[in-house]
Amino acid sequence: MQKLDILNGNKAAAIGAALARPAVIAAYPITPQTPVVEYLTEFAANGEIDAAMSEVESELSAMSVVTGASLAGARTFTATASQGLALMYEPYFRASTLRLPIVMAVVNREMISPQSVWGGQQDSMSVRDAGWLQMYAEDNQEILDMVVQAFKIAEDERVLLPINICFDGFYLSHMTERVLIPEQEKVDEFLGVYQPKHILLDPQKPMAVDPLTNGGLLMEYRYRHLQAQQAAIEVLEETDKLYGQAFGRTYGGAIEQYRMEDAEYVLITTGSMSGAAKEAVDIQRNRGIKAGLVRMRLLRPFPQKQVCAALKKAKAFGVVDKNVSFGWNTGIVYQEVKSALYEEHLCIPSVPVIGGLGGEDISIRMMEECIDAIKKAADEQKSSETIWLTV
Amino acid sequence: MNTVDKLASLKDMISPGISACTGCNVELTLRTCMKVLGPDTIYAVPPGCMGGVGVVGWDTQSGSHIPVFFPLLDNVASMLAGIKLHYERIGRKVNVVAFAGDGATTDAGMQCLSGAAERGDKLIYICYDNEGYMNTGYQRSSATTKYSWTSTTPVSDAGSGGKRQHRKDFPMIMAMHDIPYMATCSPAFIPDMVAKLEKAMEASERGLAYLHVHNPCLTGWGIRPELSIEVSRLAVETNFFPLYEVIDGTFVINKEYKEAKPVEEYIKQMKKFRHLSAEEIADIQGFVDQKWNRLKQLAAL
Repeated sequence: MQKLDILNGNKAAAIGAALARPAVIAAYPITPQTPVVEYLTEFAANGEIDAAMSEVESELSAMSVVTGASLAGARTFTATASQGLALMYEPYFRASTLRLPIVMAVVNREMISPQSVWGGQQDSMSVRDAGWLQMYAEDNQEILDMVVQAFKIAEDERVLLPINICFDGFYLSHMTERVLIPEQEKVDEFLGVYQPKHILLDPQKPMAVDPLTNGGLLMEYRYRHLQAQQAAIEVLEETDKLYGQAFGRTYGGAIEQYRMEDAEYVLITTGSMSGAAKEAVDIQRNRGIKAGLVRMRLLRPFPQKQVCAALKKAKAFGVVDKNVSFGWNTGIVYQEVKSALYEEHLCIPSVPVIGGLGGEDISIRMMEECIDAIKKAADEQKSSETIWLTV
Repeated sequence: MNTVDKLASLKDMISPGISACTGCNVELTLRTCMKVLGPDTIYAVPPGCMGGVGVVGWDTQSGSHIPVFFPLLDNVASMLAGIKLHYERIGRKVNVVAFAGDGATTDAGMQCLSGAAERGDKLIYICYDNEGYMNTGYQRSSATTKYSWTSTTPVSDAGSGGKRQHRKDFPMIMAMHDIPYMATCSPAFIPDMVAKLEKAMEASERGLAYLHVHNPCLTGWGIRPELSIEVSRLAVETNFFPLYEVIDGTFVINKEYKEAKPVEEYIKQMKKFRHLSAEEIADIQGFVDQKWNRLKQLAAL
């Protein structure tokens, strides 16, 4: 039977990682991710996990140690946030181009300046084009479930890519919720053992990793990398179903749709703000407004087909971004969604919204106003200027 | 068995076809090290000369008979630490080795190396010190000797310039990490190098073993190829680069001369010092003497 516990998001991530029995863990503490590192070292000290732990001197080394371990054939886990992720960038990019199925939790935190330790999704979204898979969780149960599933998706032979499970700093990392913890033996069965065939540093099977490579071959590597990212959408959806059969919880795959059956005014969100957005949708529905919500669970690869299918009948949509796209005067997800719609010639009025930076709250009332703005855009058949919540 | 017979009996782990410069003493160092370390070895060659000459490989061909890879310039020791943790955990004895230039060791990769040394990661870290970024055409590093011409510390038409600072004493910095084994090596003293590699293999079962090899760069420094070993030997005979080891904290000087040759004899062998004045040579001599005296004091403890 699954054990019921009251967990904060960091502990949910740590337990999810522990359930996957990683062989090597390396992490460097940074607010708001620090407790993930502390929980894992505590599990190791108590013999609850038998991972080799490396208490590295920086995030650059955290990513480098797990990269080395993964090259040697180990299942690996790490976690970071914000400036730590930025410091990791060089080995972060390399982990994906080496096709190593490393799992890393990102406890989303604002990027400085100005100095801030609070929430915001600028950190992971700014590195969305470094070749990793990226998923965003809404609550602590999903964090735990997705960290477990992340290993299955990343290690699938059709994918073989590293993956980030991202969740909002403080809103999830430090808030407690009820969480069901899957049984260890069932997780063992669900995940199996990682046995790399594509890349391995082992004297019994000598291999040169990353010789100087010509552009023609490099192009082929990139082509296959992008194909593997696309394959991850199907693998994610399969994994969601398999997980549902084994543990009774599914999340809808690449996107979650809430009251979308006949929705005309669609709000698009990412992460923990989706709770407030769902409340706002209910309130607007009670007023007779046909509102609906699409929650982006997968940002990389971008689930273009799923988003287009969901928005096909919408009269207008709006995207609430907890980040900015420098150079666009909007958020990042807004640009991504617009790009996706163009592929299928869907040209409908839209509303870019930016809020929640540096840990600012996004209230149910604000989400209601966003839906009002989306309806107004539909009525006027005109996209809106960027709405800055609380500015 | 003497060293010559021993090395002759060991398999060369490096491809015969690598494209190092004529007379390169780093190639000699690499082949010697990998012969002694043997087939149960995984090694990292970060960006630098040895990576550039095809030791990791080209396209689909490997430059080595043993597993080899390019780490990043600044994460050599950390990537190796991850590899070693995996093999330790599954109970397999594998030498996990860095063969890294001074840029990847004393500059960009220093933080990672210091961290691995402090944590006791069970690695063998070999630095081939040719005093600069040679693969990109000899730019200065923190290992470059004061007054050296480099492409980023040029000498004016009037003959003044060169690097403004003395080099970082990196072997001593590593020794002060209290690692189980630290030694300096020279390609002019191969039996000494082989003995030190064997000690490093033993010490790496307890923590990080560090070898610092001084490799005068023929192309970069302006040395005639046939003098490759001769100049390397002069660096030792002048006390410019003394051979010593630190075994669990105890300093041992391996080559001590009744009367060390003046450092000028070493300096005059290469073009990069051609512009030096008598005062500048005296400054380097003073630096060498000071370092030597301190080493003697440490060895007397």
